[in-house]
Amino acid sequence: MTTHRFVVNPVLCTGCRTCELACSFTHSVNGKPGKSRIYPLDGGFKDLWVPVVCLQCEEAACAKACLVDAITRNPETGAMDLDEDRCVRCMACVAACPFGCSLHDSHHNLVVKCDLCGGDPACAHFCPTQALSYKPIEIKKLKSA
Amino acid sequence: MTIQNLQQLKDLQKKVTTEKKKFHKKVIVCCGTGCLANGAKAILDEFKSVLSKKKIRNFAVEAVTETGCHGFCEQGPLVAIEPEGTFYTKVKPKDVADIIEESIRGDKVIERLLYTNPATTEKTESYRNIPFFSHQQRIALRNVGNIAAHDIKEYIAVGGYQALYKALTKMTPDEIIEEITKSGLRGRGGGGFPAGRKWRTCADVESDVRYVICNADEGDPGAFMDRSIMEGDPHGVLEGMMIAAFAVGAHMGYIYVREEYPLAVRNIKAAIEQCEEFGLMGDDILGTGFSFHIRIARGAGAFVCGESSALMKSVAGEIGEPRAKYVRSVVKGLYDKPTVLNNVETFINVPLIIGKGSKWFAAIGTPKSTGTKVFSLVGKVRNTGLIEVPMGTTVREIIYDIGGGILDDRPFKAVQTGGPSGGCLPESKLDLPVDFDSLTEAGSMMGSGGMIVMDDKTCMVDVAKYFLSFLVDESCGKCVPCREGLYQLHKLVVKVSEGRGEEGDLEKMEKLSKSIVMGSLCGLGTSGPNPLLSTIRYFRDEYLEHIRDKKCRAGVCRELITYRVNEKCTGCLACISACAYHAITGKKKEVHVIDQDKCTKCGACVAVCKQDAIDVF
Amino acid sequence: MVTLTINGKLVQAEEGEMLLAVIERQNIDIPSTCNHKAVEPYGACRLCTVEITHPKWPGWKKHVTSCLYPVEEGLVVSTHAPEVIELRKTLLDLMLARSPKAKLVQDMAAEYGVTRTSYEEVPDGNDCILCGLCVRVCDQMGFHAISAVGRGHGKEIAPPLDEPPPDCVGCLACAQICPTNFIKYTDAGNKRTIWGKEFELIACERTGQPTITKEFAEYLSKHRDIPEEYFKRNDLTHRRELAATMGKISQWQREEEE
Repeated sequence: MTTHRFVVNPVLCTGCRTCELACSFTHSVNGKPGKSRIYPLDGGFKDLWVPVVCLQCEEAACAKACLVDAITRNPETGAMDLDEDRCVRCMACVAACPFGCSLHDSHHNLVVKCDLCGGDPACAHFCPTQALSYKPIEIKKLKSA
Repeated sequence: MTIQNLQQLKDLQKKVTTEKKKFHKKVIVCCGTGCLANGAKAILDEFKSVLSKKKIRNFAVEAVTETGCHGFCEQGPLVAIEPEGTFYTKVKPKDVADIIEESIRGDKVIERLLYTNPATTEKTESYRNIPFFSHQQRIALRNVGNIAAHDIKEYIAVGGYQALYKALTKMTPDEIIEEITKSGLRGRGGGGFPAGRKWRTCADVESDVRYVICNADEGDPGAFMDRSIMEGDPHGVLEGMMIAAFAVGAHMGYIYVREEYPLAVRNIKAAIEQCEEFGLMGDDILGTGFSFHIRIARGAGAFVCGESSALMKSVAGEIGEPRAKYVRSVVKGLYDKPTVLNNVETFINVPLIIGKGSKWFAAIGTPKSTGTKVFSLVGKVRNTGLIEVPMGTTVREIIYDIGGGILDDRPFKAVQTGGPSGGCLPESKLDLPVDFDSLTEAGSMMGSGGMIVMDDKTCMVDVAKYFLSFLVDESCGKCVPCREGLYQLHKLVVKVSEGRGEEGDLEKMEKLSKSIVMGSLCGLGTSGPNPLLSTIRYFRDEYLEHIRDKKCRAGVCRELITYRVNEKCTGCLACISACAYHAITGKKKEVHVIDQDKCTKCGACVAVCKQDAIDVF
Repeated sequence: MVTLTINGKLVQAEEGEMLLAVIERQNIDIPSTCNHKAVEPYGACRLCTVEITHPKWPGWKKHVTSCLYPVEEGLVVSTHAPEVIELRKTLLDLMLARSPKAKLVQDMAAEYGVTRTSYEEVPDGNDCILCGLCVRVCDQMGFHAISAVGRGHGKEIAPPLDEPPPDCVGCLACAQICPTNFIKYTDAGNKRTIWGKEFELIACERTGQPTITKEFAEYLSKHRDIPEEYFKRNDLTHRRELAATMGKISQWQREEEE
């Protein structure tokens, strides 16, 4: 069956930050740009950038940390979705994520994280080098959940 | 001893009744809370002490029986002598020796202790002929006042636990529910919900665990029907609960008693222990394999915990706040399990219905309200106390035939029924029958059976103020309309009663009441405005008088009345001594004068004045 | 799926859903203050009351709080019936008498045409509208640190015996969820104070930036199977560390390709 995989390839990343813009505008709040869930950072070597983004961990620390079950697996996209209406802003997930991918939007008093835009990630759509890509893949055998 | 079958039960019954036949006379001392407060214990002890010393030849007197409440509380302490039914009222310990001499050794009656009809001054010997008792039909109260409440043998002697036996061994749970349904038994706690239907719904929910709870919270001020039943016939309540438990499939029961009923708790606790001792409660009851245990849960002084969902929260150790019951507690109740919650008086009727049949019960009362109802008749009526009448009896019959009419022959003004959830009925409604439905149309309700009689010296604004202040105090505070609404409503009534009422206040109160009724989460709120609305409905003029004329015709509302000494004053100084505020001045043999600035309208002077020389305007 | 009518329009809903969620999905605006997705509905404020009826009900209607009334097939709902509007007006009026300075109450009341309360202001009123959200979220999180204390008009939210609550971990969920911002806390440097209790905020090992309280982190690592290590650095540091790690791997990849 066909599913998708979100691939991050830092070797191709130029640090142009288009992904950050795309994410910001896709997740606007009250018509204004929201906090980006993708965070391009210096890779520590010449001309090397790493777009840091949620890894949608199999055993997500953010979901474990959430005491009101606001973070759950989306069965269609495979992403860990954070329900903004359920979130109580306790910052447990922000503190628990070992990759720092649960972010506190202090302007709007929200906690945000990458949700793969519900199945059509804007960052991958606009990445000029396809350092970020959202590819369909064939899987012959489904790994049990 | 453990009772294992019907034969053993009947044998025990026979044994006890045969033993009782040896006695020529039985002395009954009423030991309900009312008479106890009036000194019944001293009388009981005196009887026991004298009888143990004297040798009464040719006579055997049954050990003095301390029973539950006879209901004739106005006349207590009460002593009755069977089999004659000789009834002595206002007994004192020093009368005991005479009673023993005249009425036990002898067959005479002591005139001075007999009940005297205040209207006719006629004396009656047997309680069976006193109108207070002869007009009643004591079914729920069948054993109250007749048997020693704490002794299971006395209960068995009058046929107790045979209905339980019948239910457990000769009927199926469905048949029991069918019988209760056919009897038309409706909840006696005030809701009037058909008991059979409640049990049926509970039994039909798929669950491994179910509960039966007896609501003995009895929060209505002045109500003591359930208290008397629990004090006087605890085994009857237990038997009713056990039958219900078997019918719905529950193995655990609770009796939720209000904190303020220590004697009831003591008697129920003793009854449970005895029941377990005799094998009539616990595991494998009567060898049938049915197990049932009862625990007592005590309240902590909250009226709102008489509400079913708040009660269950309280039993579970949580804060007693009601919840919206779109999913009924009979489906999801205590610990989210199906629960049958019924009132004490409902349960006490169950053994009789099973024993005598639904047809017998349904023949009493009215078609839609079968059976009887226990009322606490209090207020400005001659015979205050506890009574039981068939449903359909008119209010007039209760107040006049049983109650003996208004105290001091003052004019009747209103009767408040149903406690804080009910309303006031004026004279024009006296011929309404008491049942679950008739009073509701008139703006009141039967409720749990409280009946407060009022005369012309009762101010209806004050009555509304009293009930509202009670409800404001007892509101759990969860929902806005009750917590804030009743608070503001109370403030408005206080305003009116203190003479600060303005034009439009009545309409304001009516409008606010509408929102409270519509928006409140539980019955406390939705029925809270009833006392106010019913008094406005029937006594609107009295409210307008308070607002427009700043006058209180009953002479109650302090800011609107004046105490004045009139020309009848003989200058006896009595009121001057009585006044704690030194508001009255005057010399001996001179007409006294009340200083209006110091007078607090406490009424002490009126109480002591023997010349009727103080007027209240 | 269940079909019902809301304000004359047929809508679909999931079995077991509460009316309020369905109504909000239709972009119909009805006020509510005590409802939140993180906790069970409570039915305390009564503002979300709607009028319902059903063809099977012989000519009568009910007023229920939509936050905890489950959908029914064939239900007919009116969210702005005149009686309901009147009720909301009165409720907001009453709430204003108790919390005249609370912006949320002022705004909601203004929407219903109530600018000042027509009742006497409550002498001991404050911005707490007793919605119970703080207590309910604290219970949901598992701490049970605060509770509603007292009955009726004297009801208030407080820790046990009015002392610093032993079970509080300083997560601030109560302060965050409070619709009138009545629950106050102070974060000064690495110290947090709430409900009279002092907490130490974990300082990021790398940057010294404060994160969550020590107590909260201890609870999460102990009860939620999260390594203690994770809480020692803040989110920015974690991102930098991930970038550094990925950077090393990518550099090695690049060198391989050459």
